Amino acid sequence: MPSVILNDTILKGNFVEKDSVSINGAFIGDIKAEEIIIKDHGNVNGNLNAGTNIEVNGEVVGDLSADRIHLTNFAKVRGKLFHKNLSVEEGAQLEITAQTRKRISNSNKE
Amino acid sequence: MFFNSNKKVESHIDGFSHLGEGASFEGEIHSKGELEVAGKVKGNISAKTLKILETGKVTGHVNAERVEILGCMLGNTSSLNIHVGEKGVVRGDLRFEINLSVAEGADVLGHVQKAKKDKNKKVDSEKVRYLEHNQRAS
Repeated sequence: MPSVILNDTILKGNFVEKDSVSINGAFIGDIKAEEIIIKDHGNVNGNLNAGTNIEVNGEVVGDLSADRIHLTNFAKVRGKLFHKNLSVEEGAQLEITAQTRKRISNSNKE
Repeated sequence: MFFNSNKKVESHIDGFSHLGEGASFEGEIHSKGELEVAGKVKGNISAKTLKILETGKVTGHVNAERVEILGCMLGNTSSLNIHVGEKGVVRGDLRFEINLSVAEGADVLGHVQKAKKDKNKKVDSEKVRYLEHNQRAS
């Protein structure tokens, strides 16, 4: 079963999950998972590293790395993106540098 | 924050946060609601309700209103109500205020203590002193 962090929960630290993670609360620290979804109340301060997919509907400050990154219209993102596929919806607030790569290494290299 | 945020924060949320079986987390967790742990957590947890599922393993201190230990708990637990399930493993102290239940088959090693509600008594005695003082003054 995937992990779900609700609005009333604050996590500080490092999170590694083999399945998908959905965050609607506050998170300070790095996340590594197969799939990461930041919901509209989600607020992450740290690097996201996903095997397949990152979807951001909330706020993220940090670097994002995944095969496919999708930023929806409520997304607020600041940081570097490493991706194969990037899609951004109208209305997203961004302060990013984006870089397309053929292969995304799944290690958390800075 | 560098962006203006005008999102409403809901005071009450139905359902619970869940850390899945494949999850491992190191750090602090603060939850105002319910939290379910099916994976590994290293660090302190404070929550209203904490449920450590059979696959779950928590290493650290836990502070909550209600704790259910169906999995593995290493560290001290302090809570109003504590329940240890039949497959529950506890290595550490259990400190409870209202209710403790331990199912047959549970593995517990540590001090078990019913905490006195000191806070209320102190408040009461202070209140009495204050009232007495007022009576004398008048």
